[in-house]
Formats: sequence, structure tokens, C-alpha cells
Amino acid sequence: MSTDGLERAWSDGTDGASDSNGTSGSAAANPTDDPASDLDGEGLVLGYPTAEEPVVDGESIAVEAGAVTALVGPNGSGKSTLLKGLANQLTPEDGSVLLDGRDVHSMDTKALARKLGLLSQESTSPNGIAVEDLVYHGRYPHRGFFERTTEADARAVDRAIELAGCDHLRDREVGSLSGGQKQLAWIAMVLAQDTDVLLLDEPTTFLDLHHQMEVMEIIETLRDESEVTVVVVLHDIEQAARLADRVVALKDGEIRARGPPEEVVTEDLLADVFRVDAEVVATERGPRVTPIRARHEE
Amino acid sequence: MSGEGSTVGGGGSSIDGETARRRSTDRSPIGWLLDAKLVVVALSSLAVIVAAGLVQVSFGAYSMTVGQAWRAVLDPAVLLDPRWLLNFVVGEGLMRAVTGFQGELPQLTHETLIVWNIRLPRVLVGVLVGANLAVSGAIFQAVTRNELASPFILGVSSGAGLTILLTLVVFGSLSAFLPLIAALGGSIAFLIVYAIAWKNGTSPVRLVLAGVIVGTVFSSLQTALFFFADDIGVVQSAIAWTTGSLTGTDWEQVRLALPWSFVAVTLSIAGARQLNLLLLGEGTAKALGMSIERVRFALSGVAVLAAAASIAVAGIVGFVGLIVPHMVRNLVGTDYKRLIVGCLFVGPALMVAADVGARLGMSVIAGTDAQIPVGIVTGLVGGPYFLYLMRKQQHMGEI
Repeated sequence: MSTDGLERAWSDGTDGASDSNGTSGSAAANPTDDPASDLDGEGLVLGYPTAEEPVVDGESIAVEAGAVTALVGPNGSGKSTLLKGLANQLTPEDGSVLLDGRDVHSMDTKALARKLGLLSQESTSPNGIAVEDLVYHGRYPHRGFFERTTEADARAVDRAIELAGCDHLRDREVGSLSGGQKQLAWIAMVLAQDTDVLLLDEPTTFLDLHHQMEVMEIIETLRDESEVTVVVVLHDIEQAARLADRVVALKDGEIRARGPPEEVVTEDLLADVFRVDAEVVATERGPRVTPIRARHEE
Repeated sequence: MSGEGSTVGGGGSSIDGETARRRSTDRSPIGWLLDAKLVVVALSSLAVIVAAGLVQVSFGAYSMTVGQAWRAVLDPAVLLDPRWLLNFVVGEGLMRAVTGFQGELPQLTHETLIVWNIRLPRVLVGVLVGANLAVSGAIFQAVTRNELASPFILGVSSGAGLTILLTLVVFGSLSAFLPLIAALGGSIAFLIVYAIAWKNGTSPVRLVLAGVIVGTVFSSLQTALFFFADDIGVVQSAIAWTTGSLTGTDWEQVRLALPWSFVAVTLSIAGARQLNLLLLGEGTAKALGMSIERVRFALSGVAVLAAAASIAVAGIVGFVGLIVPHMVRNLVGTDYKRLIVGCLFVGPALMVAADVGARLGMSVIAGTDAQIPVGIVTGLVGGPYFLYLMRKQQHMGEI
């Protein structure tokens, strides 16, 4: 996997204003040397209109710039909700999300989408769309209403497809792919969006081992070779520990622990947050978790 | 890397395993238009339009041979005389203003006059109505993410129907403005549907439900109004309007619909990328920076404009807007750029062909000169086609 295109080109650096004159390629080398983007959620109260109680009730999270942060927790712990809040998909009832100091809710939607990409858990695609077409949709925020695709778009798409390792799928219809291949195609789409911040909602769930590793490797490459700030919701705590620079553990909408994996992923935390007795052994690939039994006491 | 530039022209249909390679992302400005399937669809639709159109201009109270009709359509006395052309297309007043011509227009043959004055405009109105309805339906199917959506799903038909009845039965003096009132009624009903569906934003399901609610109420009112019609002529006129008819359409209708059709079609082709993105689902579209409510409303507005333009000249023609996008989707795929262009050909083909049945069918079957509303024919064709689809396709509904 070549990585030449990665460097700073991953960040397009400009915002709102480039809409009108962005014809000549916003993603073209625009190596503004601003550091990786900061994403901060402050006092977030997040819920759904149908439910009375908020799922996340007043939590703050400062995502480390340029690093990989994993959100872990049991089902219903609010990790996906928190991610949706960070992505401005859910409007917080209280609190705010700041991207490089700007409130995401007040940002122009396209400007935000040029800085922050989100891969949702459930993605539907129409029949008959080719992978390459899907990936080109990732360029949407970089294009004006009547604008045609540019060289820069083509480059970003090629790069994203290459990075996601789905070059061989390029002309296949998304509907005909396996679950794992589909996920790679969708990841290529968010990569083509060319954002500073990438939020991924359970990108490895339901994938076979091979594709889980593929996805993890993509995220690692992003971290190692670019300044992208990644927040990823993971079901598998061992995977989280291995992949992430920071782990944030949630339970019942509360953040119970945060920090480097070695500090967060402990037997106590697994008992407290995941309600399992487990053995945690430190290895050179990070903590190894062996679940032993579910805890039934409360 | 295999991304060397873009394969120009959709002719690049090399077969890759089981999946036909179909790349709608040919990035050259018109490459996507050259898609083999789209070209076939366009050409065969054109053939249908020409054939049906020739039948329409040949037969009638004054019958002529196809050769005569053909010569009349291509009569150089009209085609090569901008005064006559303008006289037909934009009207005599405007023609005189544009050309400054004050004298008497040169004589035309009897055949040419009949074809150009009476029969050809009806075909042209059919073309416009078919294109508008097809495009409108295609847009609504993306907006509601439902294959079973039609131009009339968001209350447009019931709003138009109610105002048609109101005008004919209660405000008879306004019937000169019936086309505009009908279009306006449809648009107002659409706004009411939107207002009902709105609750911190809309969703496809809520829009469709609100459409059903408004449709039910308005249809009841419309039916109630029939009781107050004391004249059989009024009732027949109302039925013609609410089932859709091209009887008696003229150059005036062409002039009425043409500008709006042009605007609606241009906007819908420009909006094709937005429509494609809507198909990826609300979450994804939003994450990619689409202001989804604004786009959805704007696109619905374009679709209502197209539907209103066709209502104004032909009344409420059913089924065309429902089945044409379907047929085209089966033929050229889900990409909206191609879908819309395909609709621009298949819609007119269906409409013009159906109008042959509406205008001449009764004389073939019953030997009378009576014409039936074209909406009846489209319903008779559309129903079985839908049945066929239902049996053939496992999944119908969500796109």
C-alpha cells in the first residue's frame, strides 16, 4: 500500500470561503501547516426526541488531536450517541461541540463536512451504484452546486480507494459486495471526504477477521502517516486497546475512565463497566483481555 | 493504480466477472450521456414518439395518408419560414412584435394547416406532459426514498382536483384561469402537506403520511362538490380535468407549459447529484454536508413545478409519473443523471402513445368519434405493468 498521497494533502485546511472559488481543487496541495484538528465536546447532554431521559447527560470529552481515540462500553452505554453528538448528527440539548474552537452546530454544513467525516453504523446504498461512484460522493462537500468533478476530486478518490485497499472493487456494484468489502467501500467514501477529523461508528462490527484487520490497518495508517484525528467506537475492547492511543470507557451515558489503553483497560474496569470477570495481561501488543465469566451481582 | 484518468464515454462497458461495469462517474462533461443503454432507451423512445405522432397527425375527422401527414409536418412553407414557425410556437402577437411583419402570412395547404394548427400541438403537449410527469415522479421517488411515489404523492393531485371542482362548480366565472388555478391548488396542497409533516424537520415517512391525510380530506371535499354540480357538462369537464385529458389542446397549452418545463427539467438535471446523495440515506447525506431539509424542500418544489405545469395543460394524468421512472430505472440504473435524461424520453413516448389510444381508440373499438381522457388509457396500461413488476421483482418499495 503506497502512502505517497497521504501527507498533508489529507487536510484541505480551508473552510467555508472556498466554496465559491474552490473549482480548481480544494484538496490540491494546500499544505497549510496548521496542526491536527481539535475536537472538544463540553457538557454534552444528548438524547433522542422519542426518549425522555437523555442518553448522555452532561459529559465532556477532549479528543486528542492527531491521535486515535476509542470509545468503548457495553450496549446502550451511549458511545454511539456521543459520537453522533460529536458529528453534529444529534443536536445537543445542552453543551457544545467545538472543532478547532468553532461550534460545529453553527458551522455551515458543507464547511463542517470538509473538516469532519463520519462513517455511520448503518449505511444503505441504492442498487446498482458502483464503488467508485460511491467514493465520489465523498467529494460532495468539496463541490459547489453546479460544479463538476475536478482533478483534485479524482486524486482524492484514487487516494482514498487505494488507502482503503479496494482498488480491485472499483467497478463492482456495492450491492454485490460482501459485508466486509462494503465496509471498505464506505470507508473509502469518508476518506475521499478528506477531513481532519474522522469519526467511525463500529467500523469492525459484523466483519470477518480479515476485514476487521483491514479496517484496523487503515486506521493505523491514518494515524501514522497523517495528522487525522480519529474517534472510533469499538465493540471489542481488546481491539480498542490495541488500536487506540486513548481509550474512553462509557457506561450508562457516563464516562467512567479515560486515558492510555494500559491505564484504562484493567480488570477493575472490565468488572465495573462491562460486568465481566476477566484477566488482563500486558503484552507488547497492548493489554490482552481474556473474559472469564459474566458478573451477575449488581 | 488503475485510476488513470477517466474512461471517456460510457462505451467502456467491459464485463468484469458477473457485474457489468457501469461507471456513471465518467468525468467528461457528456461522457455519461453516451451510455449504451441510455442511447438505446432514447432512440427507441424517439421512434415511439415519431410513430405515435405520425398516427396522431394522419388520422382524425380529416384523414390523410402517412405520406401526406409526413409532408405536412415537414412542410418547408412552415419550417423554413420563421414567421409561420413563430406564429405557431409563440403566437401571432409576439411573432409580429419580434419580426415586425405586418402583412398577411403566405397561404398554407389544407393538410399543413390541419396538422400544424390542430394535431401537432396536441402531440407536443403530450411530449411536455409526459416529460414533466416522469421527471416529477423520479424526483419524488428519491425525496421520499420510495419507488411507489408519484408526482401526486404529496397532495398535489388532490389539491389540484379540489380547486378544479371549486372553480367549475362554485366560481364558474374563473374558469378561464382553470389551468393556473389547478396548478396553484396543487402547489398549495403540497405546502400544507409539508407544514403538517414538519416537526423539527421532516422525514420521508412523515411526508408520505401527511400526503395521505391531505389527499383523503381533499378528495372527500372534491367528491362532495360533485353533488352541487347541476349540469352534466360541468361534471364531464370536471372528470376530464381530474383524470387528465389532452382533448382540445392547442399551441396555447404548449406556450403555457414550455417555459416551466424547461425550468423544471434544467433544475432537475442540475439536482441529479443531490438526488443521488439522498439515495444514500439521510444520515450519510447529512454527514457529507448536505443541508438535507433545504435540499429536500427545493427538490420537491422542482417536482411540484413540473407536476403543476402538466396539470395546467392536461389535468391530473395518473400513472405516468409512477411507472416511467420505474421503467427507466430498470433500463439504465439508479444514477439520477441518466434516470432523468431517460425519463425525458420515455415519459413523452408513453404519453404520446397513450394519447393515440385516447383519441382514436373509441373509433376503432366502437366506431364513434368520442375521445376518452388520456388518463384512463395510462391507467389501463400502467396497472398491468405494475402487476408485472410486482410479480417479477422480489423487492419493491424502497429504492
